[in-house]
Amino acid sequence: MFFHITLERNMQLHPRHFGPHLRDKLVAKLMKDVEGTCSGRHGFVVAITSVEDIGKGLIREGTGFVTFPVKYQCVVFRPFKGEILEAVVTMVNKMGFFAEAGPVQIFVSNHLIPDDMEFQSEDVSNYTTSDGSVKIQKDSEVRLKIIGTRVDATEIFSIGTIKDDFLGVINDPGAAS
Amino acid sequence: MSSFEPFNRLVRLAARAFYDDITMKGDNQPKTGRGDNRGMTVVVLDALTRRQWVREEDLAKALKLHSKQLRRTLRFFEEEKLVTREHRKETAKGVKIYNAAVAATADGQQPVKEGDEKNKMHTHSYCCLDYAQIHDVVRYRLHRMKKKLKDELDSRNTIQQYICPNCGRRYSAFDALQLVSMTDEYFHCEGCNGELIAESDKLAADEMGDGDDNARRRRREKLKDMLQKMEEQLKPLMLQLARVKDLAVPEFGGLLAWEARVHAAARVTGDSNASDFSKSSQGQGYGGTPMPFLGETRVEVALSGMDVKEEGTEPDTKSANVKVLPPWMIKKGMVLTKEQRGEVKHDMKSDQSSYAIDEKKPGVEKEDEKNLQDEYFKAYYAALAKRQEEQEATSRRLREEAEKYKASTSDLSNGIFEAPYDRQVGMKSKRADDENDDVDWEEAVPTGNTGETFKLADLNAQPEASGDDEDDIDWEEG
Repeated sequence: MFFHITLERNMQLHPRHFGPHLRDKLVAKLMKDVEGTCSGRHGFVVAITSVEDIGKGLIREGTGFVTFPVKYQCVVFRPFKGEILEAVVTMVNKMGFFAEAGPVQIFVSNHLIPDDMEFQSEDVSNYTTSDGSVKIQKDSEVRLKIIGTRVDATEIFSIGTIKDDFLGVINDPGAAS
Repeated sequence: MSSFEPFNRLVRLAARAFYDDITMKGDNQPKTGRGDNRGMTVVVLDALTRRQWVREEDLAKALKLHSKQLRRTLRFFEEEKLVTREHRKETAKGVKIYNAAVAATADGQQPVKEGDEKNKMHTHSYCCLDYAQIHDVVRYRLHRMKKKLKDELDSRNTIQQYICPNCGRRYSAFDALQLVSMTDEYFHCEGCNGELIAESDKLAADEMGDGDDNARRRRREKLKDMLQKMEEQLKPLMLQLARVKDLAVPEFGGLLAWEARVHAAARVTGDSNASDFSKSSQGQGYGGTPMPFLGETRVEVALSGMDVKEEGTEPDTKSANVKVLPPWMIKKGMVLTKEQRGEVKHDMKSDQSSYAIDEKKPGVEKEDEKNLQDEYFKAYYAALAKRQEEQEATSRRLREEAEKYKASTSDLSNGIFEAPYDRQVGMKSKRADDENDDVDWEEAVPTGNTGETFKLADLNAQPEASGDDEDDIDWEEG
C-alpha cells in the first residue's frame, strides 16, 4: 500500500557545497540518499515529492560538515498482510516462485499454488495447469495475496498465495508471444 | 411493528449463538464464583428486542442490574456493533420529552420513571438495537468463521516450513530468498548445504516429521468436524438470516429523530394515551414494571361514574314500577364510593350487591311501607334533579339521608336482619330486591370479616348522622 507521508532526516553536507546552490545540492543529496531505501517502519521510499522545511545548519566540530534537519514529503510503499498485489515473476523453481512488486520481493511456495498447477522443468521452468491453458513462468504477471511479511530494519520480504479466488496469472507473456 | 419480529428473532438467535458464554468481568474481579454473569448478555439483548430507544438507567432498573454492569455490557455490544448508543446532557425537560416518546410507543413494557425535577444537567445514555448493522455483523461473522475454518482446512495462509533432513534445521518461507540456490531447483540448508524438504511432504522420512504429519491429519479431522458442527448448529441462525434478507430493515434513526417521530405519531393518534401514561407513571412503582392494577382502577372509576349517571336517569323513566329503590341504590353506591372505592364496581355493576346494601334495603322497604312514600319521592327527585346540577353536593345530602333512614329504622341491628322475611311476605312486586336479598344471604355468610368491619363503620357513623338528620328533615319538609 502506498502512503504519502512527511519524514525527517538529518543531512550532512560537505563544506565544499556551501554557496549559492546550497539548497539544491541538499535536495539532490537527499533524493540520492533516501529514494529506494527501505525502512522497516515506513516501508520503501519510492519518491520524494517536496521538501517542506530545511532547518538551521549545525557545524560539526572537527570535520566541518554541516548537519541540516530536513523535513520532506515522500511516497512510501509497504506491503501488508492480506493485501492484494500485482507482481512480476522473477524466478520459478520446484519449491515455488519468486515475484517482485516494485521493490518488494514475494515468495509463493508450491503449497500456495493451486493444486491443479504442476511444476514443469522444461527449458523455462514453469507451473502449468493440466490442460496447459494457464502457465506461470519468468516474467509472467500474477495477482497474489500477501499472507505474511517479514520486516527487517532495511528489508521487507513477503510470502504470497495465489490459491484463492481471482488470483493467479493476469498476463501471460508466453501466450502473447 | 410486524417487521420487527423476524429481526428480533435474529437478534435472539445471534445472542444465544455468539454471546451466550461471554462474561462481563470488571478489571478487578478476582472471584469467579459469584462474578459469573454469563448469559447476562443474552438477557440484555433480549430485553432490547422488546424496546426501541431506551434510557440505560431504565433498562438497568427493568433488568434489576447494576447500571455499571449494564453499561459495561452495552459498551461491549457497541464495540460488537450490535447496539447504537447516544449520550446527551439533558435537564428534566429532556427526560420528559423522552418519557412522552416512550409512552407513545405503547409498548406497555417501557419502564418509565419520572425524572427528578432538578434543573441540573445530567448526562443520560440511551441505547437501541441497530438492526441493519446487526444483520451485516452476523452475516460477516458467519462468513469469517466459515472462511477461517476452510482456509485452515486447505492449509491456506499458512507459512510453509522447511526442514533439513541432515541437520534438522528448520526454515520458514520467509527465509526463501537466502535458501534459493542458483544450481538447482531446490532450497539448500545454509549450514550443511543439504536439500531442504517442505515439512508437510509425505516424504519426510524423519520421525519428527512423521509425528507432525499425524498431528496435522488429526488437526484436519478436527477442523472438518468443527466445520460440520458449525453448519448444523448455526442452521437456525442462517435460516433466519435468509428469511430476513429481503425484508425492510426497521430503522429507528437517531435518538432525536426517533423522539420527534414518535411524538408526532402520538399527537396524531391522540394525546390521551400519552397523558394517561404520564399520569399513571407517576403512581408507578420504583421497579419500573407497570402495575396493572393502577391502570385498571382508574378505568373502573370512570365506569362507575358513568353507571351512576345511567342509573340516575333510569328512575325518571320507569318511576312507576320501581319507585324508591334505584335512588336508594345509587345513594348507597355513592356512600360506598366515599368510604371504600374498591367496593364500587361490585355494587354498581353486578346486581349481587354486597352486604352493605343488604343491610339497608330491608330497612328501606319497611320505611316505604310505614312512612309517607310521596314525601320521599319528592325528596328524592328533588335531590336527583339537584344532583344533576351539582353531583357532589347532592351525593353528600343523599348520604346523609341514607344515614337518617338507617338511624330511624334500625334501632337494633337485629331488626335489619329480620326485615327481609317481612318484606318477602309483604311485597313481591320488586323482583330485583328479592334477587338481591337471596344473593345477599348467600354472600353474607362467607365474607365474614369484611362484612363486619363494614357494619362497624356504619354503626359508628350513625350517632353523629342522626343528629344531622333531624335538621335535614326539617329543612326538606319545610
